[in-house]
Amino acid sequence: MASRDVVTYETPLTKLIRVLSVVFLALYLVWTLLPFFIMFISSFKDLLAAFKLPAVGDWSDIGVFFDFTPTLKHYRSLFEDNAFGTYTMNSLIAAGGSAVISVIFGSLAAYSLSRVNFRGKSDLFFWIISTRMAPVVAVMVPLYSIFRSLDLVGTLPGLILAYTTFNLPFAIWILKGFFDNVPYAIEEAQMVDGATRFQAFRSILPLVAPGIGAFIVLCILFAWNDFLFAAIIGSGGAKTLPVATRELVQPQNIQWGAIMAAGVITTLPMMALGLVIRKYLVTGLTMGAVKE
Amino acid sequence: MFHKPKNALYKTVSRRRFLELGGYGAAALGVGSLAVGMNSTIMATRVQAASSEDAKWKQFAGSKLTFLSENTPPSFAIRDNIKAFYDLTGIEVEVLTDDLPVVQQKVGIDVRAGKADYVLNYVQDKPIGSPFADFYADMTPMFGDETLPQDPEGYGDGSWVENFLNACGRFYSAEKVIALPYDAAIPVTFYRQDLFEKHTKEFEAEYGRRLEFTPDTTWKHVLEIATFFKKLKEGGADVPYGYAQHQGSFAWTTQLDIQRLMFSHGRWTDFNVDDKLGSKTPGKTNWGDEQSIFMLEQFKALADVSHPDNLANGTLELNTVYQSGNIAMQVQYHEFAASVEDEKTSRAAGGKTAYAYCPKGEASWIKNGGEAVNGTNCGIGGIGINKNASEQLQRAAYLFAIWSTSKQLQFDVLKGLGGTPTRKSVLEMPEVVEAKKRPSKMPNALTFDVAYGIGIQDPNFVLGPKIPEANEYHSLVASETQRMLTGEMSPAETAESLKSQIDELNGA
Amino acid sequence: MTDLTEKSPALQDVAAKLFRARSHSIEVEARPRTEVLEKPLTFNPPAPKRYYFYLMAPAIAVLAFISLYPFFWLIFLSLQDVDIGGGEWVGFDNYIRLFSDSRFINGWTLLLKYSVICLTLQLSIGVLLAVVVNNSRYERFLVTALLMPMMMAPAVAGLLWLFLYNGTFGWYHWLMQSVGILDSASILARADTALLAVIIVDVWQWTPLITLIALAGLKRVPRDQLEANMVDGASPMRNFFSITLPNLYPVLLIAVLLRFMDNFRFIDSLLVLTGGGPGSATKILPVYLFEVAFKFFKLGRGAAIALTLLLVTIILGKILVRVFENPKAGRS
Repeated sequence: MASRDVVTYETPLTKLIRVLSVVFLALYLVWTLLPFFIMFISSFKDLLAAFKLPAVGDWSDIGVFFDFTPTLKHYRSLFEDNAFGTYTMNSLIAAGGSAVISVIFGSLAAYSLSRVNFRGKSDLFFWIISTRMAPVVAVMVPLYSIFRSLDLVGTLPGLILAYTTFNLPFAIWILKGFFDNVPYAIEEAQMVDGATRFQAFRSILPLVAPGIGAFIVLCILFAWNDFLFAAIIGSGGAKTLPVATRELVQPQNIQWGAIMAAGVITTLPMMALGLVIRKYLVTGLTMGAVKE
Repeated sequence: MFHKPKNALYKTVSRRRFLELGGYGAAALGVGSLAVGMNSTIMATRVQAASSEDAKWKQFAGSKLTFLSENTPPSFAIRDNIKAFYDLTGIEVEVLTDDLPVVQQKVGIDVRAGKADYVLNYVQDKPIGSPFADFYADMTPMFGDETLPQDPEGYGDGSWVENFLNACGRFYSAEKVIALPYDAAIPVTFYRQDLFEKHTKEFEAEYGRRLEFTPDTTWKHVLEIATFFKKLKEGGADVPYGYAQHQGSFAWTTQLDIQRLMFSHGRWTDFNVDDKLGSKTPGKTNWGDEQSIFMLEQFKALADVSHPDNLANGTLELNTVYQSGNIAMQVQYHEFAASVEDEKTSRAAGGKTAYAYCPKGEASWIKNGGEAVNGTNCGIGGIGINKNASEQLQRAAYLFAIWSTSKQLQFDVLKGLGGTPTRKSVLEMPEVVEAKKRPSKMPNALTFDVAYGIGIQDPNFVLGPKIPEANEYHSLVASETQRMLTGEMSPAETAESLKSQIDELNGA
Repeated sequence: MTDLTEKSPALQDVAAKLFRARSHSIEVEARPRTEVLEKPLTFNPPAPKRYYFYLMAPAIAVLAFISLYPFFWLIFLSLQDVDIGGGEWVGFDNYIRLFSDSRFINGWTLLLKYSVICLTLQLSIGVLLAVVVNNSRYERFLVTALLMPMMMAPAVAGLLWLFLYNGTFGWYHWLMQSVGILDSASILARADTALLAVIIVDVWQWTPLITLIALAGLKRVPRDQLEANMVDGASPMRNFFSITLPNLYPVLLIAVLLRFMDNFRFIDSLLVLTGGGPGSATKILPVYLFEVAFKFFKLGRGAAIALTLLLVTIILGKILVRVFENPKAGRS
């Protein structure tokens, strides 16, 4: 809030700026939220109702957007005719599984990296983080072949492992920042009291727990929203929500109503999670470089 | 400098061997171990030729097969009815469906790696058959095998709709059959009869003939019809555009669109090879000759008067444009009739749409002295057996292949979800004949007279180009002609660019 | 990420006691991370390194398996002509041929063009938005609203925008036509507008990230400097350019690098929206690579392309890590 109360007097210029910024904000909000609104409303529309559009330039007819009888049939068909229940489970298991694995392995590694120094540490660290930055398509080619030879393609464990390729480096990188913030002296004090090294490690876990919790959620978010890995590694056997949604683009008929409904189902839980971890989001999305 | 010595040691490390090495590497890393394929062991003993039919069907009971297919109605229908096959054979079949590009990827990786995760594959003729033909088992030895059950109608060319077996079953060799026709997509002209009738007076005044679509309607006429509708529309009349084509991101359908126009005029083809069998060494391409440049000019002219969304439209999107009443005519695959005739989703339903052959070549547009034909191509999806699978599994898969292409099943699929039969006998069934007339219980059947008529017969039918590089070829044709349509290149430049890139692709 | 000791009073107590004994003050911990990074190790003989390596081992093994091993495989692959029916060693042929492959060069040009336009738009809109939001009473609500697009799966976002852009029934298509910025063709149907269409989606989805980052940066702009300047009679506008913006540079640089790399990494929405078309108007390099590897099955050529992409990413990553470690480095 640093800059807000600095301005104490009002000139015509600042007034103008204020008005402009309100307009800008309003426009931006509409621009950001309108697609969601259209998606949400369209998910309750029949196909023919969704085709209704005013004539070009006819602003008075804009009301046809609301001219429809709401139907839940798209949602029903997703779960009844299509197996969206299963796909939701797949998404949950794959995203949750990789998040848990990443955080367990990641916190062990991050803790160690935070506590020990050795030659080549920064190289190791760079390698870890570059794994996370590699273009997905580039790693897909060899990864697919390797996973195939291990019969991991089209299975949930395979998908979990695939998501670990980006979640684990992410977890190590972020969690190291957390452990760096915990003074070594705390463990030391524990060990002086007779705790083993591992018990000492465990004793500081509660201190980083809120952070870890938030980053499990972030890992879930990344995995849940993935498309390429799920499409190729997940194949038919471990179909997740984004892939299933994409598949609604059928050869005979693009089922827009169902796609919009699936979009709502895929997006809503992540929005809720996003709100829960709002505080950590910037840190997470910038890989710890920027803190709020 | 980087040339390899002729007998260098590393040359002997084949890709397959390398995959194995990779597997050992993985094991050495301590994470997981090299697992064997997922194919289950088959306990059955070989049945005798004299065994009962039932024993022949049941001999592979307990085995498990995976069938990777495109997400087409027959595949959905078969997946829903898979229990019938299990009851018949005791073989468990998992049917996986995906978009064609995804199927291509997965099949490609599977067969190329020497694996058989998908014992049964959807062999879509050019996109999958052409590049991977060598990885499918030749079915001919199994056709006459008396220890296997056989379809009473057999598998000869005569059992299938004309040319279908050629399209998806034979690649580079007349002796082998690698797939049986499973479903079909034949382009036919969908047009709005109601609109044609309504505006025929105005059209007649300008062009001196009726606004109608006959087997003799040429591409030049299509151009005129599209121009006519566009002019009406721009004059403020409440009419749709006249025509639109598939120019969207799915390269193959884009190539098919151009091919029909090119072939109609003097039976022009890309390469001088046997059109039915194709060739692994197609040699120099014909792109760049006078005929091809002239045709591209016409193609551009047609696009200029068509619906402006051409470049964003694949098959589905184009059909949506038609369904929503925004074009009066489209050359579309006949499987789309079901959705066009559905009153709930289409404004072109209820007898408004009529079906006709693909447009004919315009004599005055032919520069190479050939004949004018109703150029028609196809996408015939076959069902093929992965050669990497064990012999027993291949034989088990054969049962599924003949079951899924049998007359009764094709009829059931047609009745249920709107299939596209490939067996001639299905077309002759009384119920199907009945359905060719409105009101139809099987809307796809409304197209059958034209879809399975002269279009797919010689000399109108073009099957190729069957070349190993088919997919990159499709992609090149699509992207270069798209650039032409956006005005980036002239038709002559496009033909030249295609020529050099395709020749480089084929090493010619 | 707030300092952890800040949150638990009990912990603060313990820590304070411990630190007093060592004449460290708790304030040290409240400073930015870099300054305490290496310190704790020097207090006491650390546990044997071996112990820590054991703890690290599982993660390293998993990473080695899913990143290092594929990486070497990629290199090996790129030196072969992996064509139908097995591979053949061709040395650097795949690389040499890339230079004459117009689609490869076009892919890079487009990727850069795409990234630069995306980033320019995102930066200018994002920073402006951050300043406005920072001065707003409704900051909390606004930030919440801004988060939304980022939570959506890019593939789903692609589908949603495909729906909005549709030339037959898309509302945004209608909107753009109605305000007169688009003629009858859909925005995706023309080579000159298709790239813009995918850029718009990226801007819609990721401008908020820049805003949030800039917002975090704005909170750290030293208030006393601003006030001092103000007393000297500087206008708010000048203040913004002479103090606020320079203070934002380090975080913005990080934002730019991250977004740049993400443009290399993710092609989900682009694949759904245009698949690279029309023509090759949106065939940025990763899309071309996807085609070569998974459509044409030229795994050798694909691997070579992938490595060029990786190389650039690694360079960008190096820069990013340097900025991480020393935020000031980015300022010059």
